[in-house]
Formats: sequence, structure tokens, C-alpha cells
Amino acid sequence: MDTFLIDGQSVTFEPGENILQAALEADIQIPHFCYHAALGSLGACRLCAVEINPKDSDKNARVVMACLEPAQKGLEVSLSAAAAQQVRRHVIELLMINHPHDCPICDEGGECHLQEMTVACGPSYRRYRGNKRTFPNQDLGPLIHHEMNRCITCYRCTRFYQDYALGNDLGAMRLRNEVYFGRFQDGPLENPFAGNLVEICPTGVFTDAVFRQHFARTWDLKTAPSICPHCSVGCNTLPGARDGTLRRVRNRAHQELNRWFICDRGRYGHQYSEHNTRPLSPRVSGINTDYRSALAAAARKIQAAAERTGGIGSVREDLEGNVMLRSLLNDLKGIFTAFNDPELEAATLTAVSRMQELDNTPHLAALEQIDAALITGDLTVHAPMIDLALRQAWRNGAKLAMLHSSVAPLTQFASTAATVAPREIHDMLTQLYRQISRQPETNDAVTQTIKTIAATLSQARQPLMAGVVETSTAQDIIALAELAKAFEPAAQLIYVLPGPNAYGAALLSAAGDTVSLLKAVERGEVQTLIVAGSDPFSEPRSGARWRVARQKINTLIVLDCIATATAEAADILIPVAAWPERSGTFVNYEGRAQGFSTVFHRPEYLPSTADIISEISRLLENQLCDAASMLQDSFPGFQAPTPGTPGVQISAQHLPIRNNELMQTEPYSSDNGWQAALTSWLGDEPLAGFSPALTELAPPDTALINPESAARASLKSGSSVRLWNSVYSVETCVQINPSVANETIAIPRSMLVRLGIGHGDSLNLEQLV
Amino acid sequence: MEAILTRHLDQDNPQNLAAYQATGGYRSLNTAFDLKPEKIIETVEAANLRGRGGAGFSCGMKWRLRGADAPSPRYLVCNLDESEPGTFKDRYLLYGAPHAIIESVIVSAFALQAERAFIFVRGEYAKGGHRLIQAIREAETAGLLGRNLGGSGFDLHIDVHLSGGRYICGEETAQINAIEGKRPNPRPKIPRPSTHGLWGQPTTTNNVETLVNVPHILMNGAEWFRRLGINGGCGTKLFCISGKVKHPGVFELPCGTPARELIYKHAGGLDNDERTLLGFLPGGASTPFLLPQHLDVPMDFDPVAEAGSRLGTGSLIILDDTTCPIETVLNLTRFFARESCGFCTPCRDGLPYLVQILNAIATGNGSADDLALLDELCSTIATQSFCAFAPGAVMPLVSSLKDFHEHYEQHIITQRCPFDASRKEAV
Repeated sequence: MDTFLIDGQSVTFEPGENILQAALEADIQIPHFCYHAALGSLGACRLCAVEINPKDSDKNARVVMACLEPAQKGLEVSLSAAAAQQVRRHVIELLMINHPHDCPICDEGGECHLQEMTVACGPSYRRYRGNKRTFPNQDLGPLIHHEMNRCITCYRCTRFYQDYALGNDLGAMRLRNEVYFGRFQDGPLENPFAGNLVEICPTGVFTDAVFRQHFARTWDLKTAPSICPHCSVGCNTLPGARDGTLRRVRNRAHQELNRWFICDRGRYGHQYSEHNTRPLSPRVSGINTDYRSALAAAARKIQAAAERTGGIGSVREDLEGNVMLRSLLNDLKGIFTAFNDPELEAATLTAVSRMQELDNTPHLAALEQIDAALITGDLTVHAPMIDLALRQAWRNGAKLAMLHSSVAPLTQFASTAATVAPREIHDMLTQLYRQISRQPETNDAVTQTIKTIAATLSQARQPLMAGVVETSTAQDIIALAELAKAFEPAAQLIYVLPGPNAYGAALLSAAGDTVSLLKAVERGEVQTLIVAGSDPFSEPRSGARWRVARQKINTLIVLDCIATATAEAADILIPVAAWPERSGTFVNYEGRAQGFSTVFHRPEYLPSTADIISEISRLLENQLCDAASMLQDSFPGFQAPTPGTPGVQISAQHLPIRNNELMQTEPYSSDNGWQAALTSWLGDEPLAGFSPALTELAPPDTALINPESAARASLKSGSSVRLWNSVYSVETCVQINPSVANETIAIPRSMLVRLGIGHGDSLNLEQLV
Repeated sequence: MEAILTRHLDQDNPQNLAAYQATGGYRSLNTAFDLKPEKIIETVEAANLRGRGGAGFSCGMKWRLRGADAPSPRYLVCNLDESEPGTFKDRYLLYGAPHAIIESVIVSAFALQAERAFIFVRGEYAKGGHRLIQAIREAETAGLLGRNLGGSGFDLHIDVHLSGGRYICGEETAQINAIEGKRPNPRPKIPRPSTHGLWGQPTTTNNVETLVNVPHILMNGAEWFRRLGINGGCGTKLFCISGKVKHPGVFELPCGTPARELIYKHAGGLDNDERTLLGFLPGGASTPFLLPQHLDVPMDFDPVAEAGSRLGTGSLIILDDTTCPIETVLNLTRFFARESCGFCTPCRDGLPYLVQILNAIATGNGSADDLALLDELCSTIATQSFCAFAPGAVMPLVSSLKDFHEHYEQHIITQRCPFDASRKEAV
């Protein structure tokens, strides 16, 4: 590799790199503001001035901006030259003309890039005698606090927000030294990645409004590497805690996953661990007690039930907790499953088996390089960072085709988007498959959409198929995988799984165990049910069945860190540590196992799920080994990855490839009425649902119907309707939304739960007068 | 001298298509279409037509360097965003001879083989912009624009973009952003707009006055054009004269006409004969001052540069000995501080800093260190800004520190303005 010199020190560079990039990679700190690795060079702040020595001694040295000057072999660059220092000092002096001297009360103090640069380059004293410019601030919603007087106009915020995250409600307004970065009018920022402004702003204009409510100085925060528990992507995070409470979560760079950014659910969802309903004391029959008594009571009930014990692990429970629960149930000869819903189990197992089979599931950095994708469902909510990676692919020219039943924000960047009712997705995918493999059946009326999508994918160098497990049936998942196989070996396949450890949970599950357990409970064959980190009562499709079947259970034991409906109904409730309060392992959508550390301890004693099960097992005198050995049994050769490392691909036997027999439940009823579709929003996730800053932004609960279907049913926006199925009903009002498929009613999760139906199930509608 | 730029000018009732054609308009189209585009560019280069927007770069060379093999679509932008203080020549062309502009754009676009042209009109010239649009419609109806215009086989569509209205929109790359509908911040100059301009396509930007010369060059030849100038200049130039003169206005005169002749003959001399000339800005607000000893400098690009200033837009602003030069510089710097787009630090925050210091001096609150501070700040602002705006903005200030040093000292020592003591401000 070629090199150049910075003050005599040799620096290597890649072709096309500029001096600043190469220097930063070599850990030589050239002062800068507007340059950011994700956003590239801009040349606005003029801080990265360096001097370049001329090759010919008769020419003068010139001062250039390191971010705009290409690195060249043999170049002699000086950071310490007096002329370059003078420019940097002037730039800092100019930037500090209007910057308030409020560091002692500024949230950014201690981790402020401007502070560091001023100390490194700037004059210590002020020469400017005029007044400072002042701005009014805006209310940007519950997540971000705005303090425009601190702005140094580096344009990082709008370049991130508009150019990178493709948001359009934050921009640069006005001109001269009055450039104002904000919204057209007050209001919450709409982009799901807006929280990154807090980190990308080099000073305190955008600060974390949630952190601000319970602030601590950065040097007082305890931090340790963690993994985000709010979806299956497995972004790396750095939670910060003080005095036994969690204060904030920030991005922690992972070269293949989240490099610089995380989504707002990842940043703000952590409030669940400080929620006032969080169970912090064990409870037996509604009475608070200590762990010793609660665990003894649990052990007695389990002993009494013996093989009539059931166990439900969880897609949001770590590998250790799941594997311990499964081992306990194996010892007891009871039934274990990691899922609450038979269909979700089937879909997840199918998805994992197909990703294992194709063995080409890209990480986020690779996703940015794809040139075409077929996406079914709403990635923005179910895996926000996959959405952000695809936005980068779109910026690079990738064509995105989307099939969706309900609202899916990524459609604004789709070259082809079609609304498809949940139960028709499979048919669409099958037709696409025939079109691509050039075997259309004669009676196929191939629509233009299918032709366009087929052409887009066929012309691609590297087409991606991406699906969302939660809103897919196992058949949909198979159809999408078959489509990917038609493009082998180029095609990449992603399924967004229903939880941070859904992949791990799937590896520990046997197909059909969920329905076996549910039926066993319904038949009264299960006396004691242990539920770890899961909420079967709030499952859309089977929640109603679980709630009814609960009457047949003698003892319901729940281990969780949030007050779910199931936890509220527990006979024995055993609170466990939240994710930053314990260490463990999650397996993300790629099958990448990543470790997370204990960041801090709360004042209360809160063990992990694995610890509790280990203790119960000790009380039962059927000694389970520790979680590490149990993991060794399940995954031979598996070494739990050290937190802070990039993680390892989990080595496991491939799940069996199954086709239609995975469908264990009754098929959809065949009437031609309305279909229900799940419509989600960013905070729609079990943990984040306990984060007040996010739930404040929840859209109102309405029934979304598209204009044509609404017109046919004589419905208008605001019409009151009753939605009902065979047993339950809810009343709500209609909102017209063109992103919803024909004959489909898109409703939030809470309404599906109340109706006891899932995405794609039939639904009746009656207008109320 | 033969008037070419002002030949068809009528500010009150600009010629319609028929009148324009009856007086020789649009004849250059046939001349152009009979020539190969490269031949036209060669002729324009041989005529030594230099950019009238301020930089004075050879128009023919600019066209040649874009390359005949530039990928399609190719764009031509006619810059009519005249916003430089003291400059009001393009307005005369816009209001007085819209068809002359259209004719020039057609032959220039043909030379560049550009299929689409944009005329970027200063927002405040809205009425002229509408006249221009009307004229374009006339030309379109007559088949002089559009597909296969005038039976030439050449297609051209002209759009008029009425500016949202900021000085910076006159900067080539900021103008490109503005046309694209973006915030008009300047873009990096590499890659060059000639290869990566509007929507990433080859884009050539020329000042309107520059283009209006082109039809005449084509019809009469390069040599004829060169001979229009005097004292080494080529062609004619629209000079704007404003300030303390009897008859401010626009004058079409040979390139190279000495300043003395412009001020004392054509503009009628200082408006008060008892006054003496203090100095003048030769090329608009963003050029260094020239002094009475420069009156015989020919107003052409190279001689003015040799005298230490720039011909710029050829707009002379005249100061007599009752004008406070510090007040003048403060006024100009305030203008530029106000018009900074806010993109880069030296310009955005440096110019208001200069205003603050100049205002202190002008109002009797200057301090002994201020002149050194102005000098120091200007050195960074002039050399380290992102585009050419700030270097131009500080030119009158930098030259005034040298040329009017005594005036500055007088303001600081006496703590008041010697021209107008009422300007004294309490701190």
C-alpha cells in the first residue's frame, strides 16, 4: 500500500481516500467537524486545515483542507505547521463567536467534540466584542431536546437526516450566520432514526431528551458492551447507568452491523427497565415475598406436577435462559417450547431452516451493496436497521420492490410497490416464481406488477429477498425462499425474526411443540406452567386460547422483567434482571451469536433467568449444570462469544427443511370477507411498549382501510365500526389509508389481541350509526 | 463604434418577434446552422470573448474544454442572476431585448450541442422574467425553439428559472443546486460542473452579456469583434457607472476604454464639480479599490488586474472626497455578511465579525488593534473559504486598509467619523 507523511509519520492509504480519512484510520487526530465517516467530506467547517509541502523547493507550501485533498504517494503533510494552526485557531475563534459559554450546564459537556477541538486548537480567550446571535428552540418531541444557540453549522444533522436516513422534516433554513437547523414548525421528528442526531451533532444542539430527564455526566456513567434486545438485528449498544439506574443507550460500532447508528427503538426503548410497573419483588399468590420463599414455592409446585410441567421460553430470552429451561423440562419429561403461537413457531422454524439452507444471509454492511430487493412486509418497524441499510442501497441505485398488506414506510423508496392482502401474498410469490422460471401457467393473468418485479430481480447482480416472519405464514416463507433459490448462487435471503434471540430459540425448538403444549394445557394435562420472558396471553392469534386455557393450570410461574399480562396473572412471579443488568447471549437473524455484559446492578437483587432455573433445579435435587455446559450439550463446540467482540456464527445442526406439514393449525376460513392485517409502529415491541417516551408517539388505535374498499363498504374516515369475529368484538373508527391492501382491515396489535385473531385471519365489520 | 449589445434595446417597449426579425434578429441562426459546432467554438475562442459575469475567463476555451464528446443530456445555463451591488447591465438586456437573449442562447446551445437551456433570472427581475417567458412562447410558436428548430435538425428547450432571490444563487454551482430545487449552497468544484453539473450532467454556465455577443461574432467574424475594442480590449462591454457622478447609467463602449473617459465623458463627471475623486471600485462591489492615479487604466481585464484590481462586471462605483471610505466598506461588508449562504465558517462567521469591527471604527469606537485584527481575519477568510464569494467580499476591505489607511487611523485616533460626526455611537 502507498504511504504519505504527516509530520514525518508514515500513513498508509487506499486509493481514493483523502488525507483526513487516511489519518483518522491511522489514529492521527486531525481536528475536524463536518467530516463524518458515514457522511464523507463536505468542506464546510474548514477546521481540518493542514499544510502541504511543495515537491519543488521554489514553490510555496499551501494550506488545504485535509478532507478535500486526495491522499497521494509521497505527499508531505504537516499538521503542526504554523500556517495550518493559525487557520484552525481562526476557525475555532469564529465558531465560538456565537456559541454560548454554557458548558457547565450543557448536556453534551464531557463528550462534546467542540469542547475537545477548542481545547486542541483554539484561542483560550475571546476577542469578539459584539453580541451573540440567539435563536428560539423548537419542541422536537419527547426524544430529542433542541438548543439551537449552540449550533456551529457543520451540517452533519441535515446530511444525516436528509441524505442518509432519508427523512424530510428536518432541514437547514435561512442563511448567513442565522442558518437554522430544525423543522418547519414544532413537532416530533418523524424519522425512525432521528435519535442519532444526538450522537452525530458535534456539540449540544440535539441532546437525548430521555437522558436529560435523569441526567448524569458522561464520566459518571457505568458502561459495558451490550446488545440491543428490541429486534432480531442485534445492534451493538453501550448502555450507561448510574446509581443503580439505567440512564441511556448509545450506539457501539460493529463493523458489519450497526456501524455508526441505531434506531430510535434501540436508543429509547430502554425505559422499560425503569418503568414504574416493573416487577422488582417476587410474588406468590399476589403477596410480595423474597426469592428464597418464591423459589421454594415454585420448586414444590414443579415437583408436585413432575412430568405434568410445561415450559415456555422466549424469543426475547437469551440463549442461556432458554437452554436452561429446556434442560429442566427435559429432566422433568415435560413439554418445552420457545414460542407462544403455533403459527409463529412454524414460520420462525421455516425461516431459520431456509436461511441455513441457502446460507447467504447478508449482514447490514453487505446489504448496502445489493442492487435489487424484493421485500414482503414492513421492515421499518420489524427491523429498523435493515430498513436503514436498504435506504443506503437505494441511494446507491438499488431497485426495491415491495409487497405489503399495510403501512410500510420503506415503500416511499420502492421502484415497484403493491398492496397485497395477507392471504394473497403467497399467490403473488408463486406467480413471481413462475414468471422468473419462465413457466407461467396459461390461466395466470400476469399483472404488470409481477412482470416488473420479475424483470427487476432478473436483471440484478445480487437480488435480495427479505421477509418479515411475524406477518408471514410458513408457506409465504417457503415461497420467498424458493424464489431466492431460483437466483442461486447470487441471491441473498433475509427473514426478520420475531425477537432478539428468535434464531437461538428456533434452534432449541422442535416443530409442533407449541401446539402440543397449548393443546395439553387446554386438555388440563399441564398442572404447572413455567413461562420465562414471554407473554402468551398477549399473543394476537393464540392469546385468547392461552387466557382460557389458563383456568386449567394449577400453578402459573412467570419469570420476567416487565409487567406483561401473563406476569400479572402469575401465581408465582419471579422478577429477573433486565438485559443491561445481566450477561448472556443473543443469536441474531444471521445466526450470529453475540455476548452482552452486565452493565450495572440495581439496588434490588435481580438474578438472570438462567440463575433462577439453576436454583430451582438445585431445589428439585436434579442438578442441572450451569448454562455454559448446557449450551455445550446443545451446541457442541460452542464458546459463548465475549461481549464487545464481533460475535460468532452459531454452529448448529441445520433445522429440517419442511414444507406444508408445518401448518398445524386450521387453515384460514375460506370466506371472501375482510382480512385482518397487523399495522405496527416503531414502539410496537414488548419491551419498548413500556417506554413512555416512545409510547407517547404511538398513533391512535384505528382501523385502516384503503379508499376503494372503504367506498365499497360506504365507509368514510372517522366512521365508527364494530369489528368482530366468532367470539370477540371491538369498536373503533375508520381511517382511510392507501397503503392498505384491498378488503383488508389493518389494525394495531392490541386490537388483534382483543379479537383473538392474527395477521391474515378473517374479520367482520359492521358500521355503527 | 458599432453598438451590438444595445442594438435592439428598448426598455419601455421591447421588440416583439416580428419587429426583432425585421431589424435583423435571428439571422445568426442560419449562419450557425451552416457551421459545424466545433467551428463556432473556434470562432468564439478566436474572438477572445471573455466572460462578462466577473471572472473574465475565455468563453471559447470554456466551451472547448467541455469537450464535444460530453455525454448527453448536456445543459447550457444562462446566468441572469445579476445581484452584484453597482451592477445593473443584465437587467437592461432582459427588459430591453428578450429576443436577443433567446437568439444568443439558441446559437450557443447549438455550439455546445446542448438540448436544454436554463435562463436563471434574478428574483427581483420578475417582470423581465415574464417578458422573457412571453418571448420564448413567441419563438416556440414560430418554430424557433423546440424540436428541429428552424428546420435545423437541432432540438432545444429553454426554461426560465426565476430565482428565489439570493446573491449566492449567482455562483455557478450554487445556481446548479438552485435549479435542481436544492438549497443554493456552492458545490465542490471537483468534479467540475462542465462534466458533473446539473443532475450530474455536463453543464456550461455563461453570463447573459457574454452570450449576447455570440450571434454578432458569428455573423461578422472573430477579427471584426476583436477590432471593436481599444487599448488591447476585444469587443464592446456594458459598463455600469454609479455613485457620485452626474449621469449614472449603462454605457456600451469598447473594451479598454479608460476609466477617465467613462467617468468624466460618458457619466458627466462628479456630480459636484467642486469635489475631487477619492477612488472607485472598477468592477462591482467585490473588487479592490482603484485610486485617482488609475484613471487612465484601460477598462479591460488584464490592465485592471495589473493595476491591482479586477474588471469584474465592469461596474464602476465612484467615491468623491465627501464619501467616507470606511462607511462604504462597512456598507459593502454588511451586504456580503447578509448574503453569505452560511455554508463555510470563514465566510459565515468571519464576515459578521468584520462588520462588527468596521462598525466600531466607523462609529468612533475603534481600537488601536483593530486594523491588525482586520488584516489577520481577512487573511484566513480570503484564502480558506469554500467558494469565491468571501474572497471577493473582503477585496474592497483589504484594499481599503492599504489605500485609505489614514482614514482608518483618523477614525480610531479621534474616535469619530471625520465625514459625519453624528455617526458616533455610545458603546
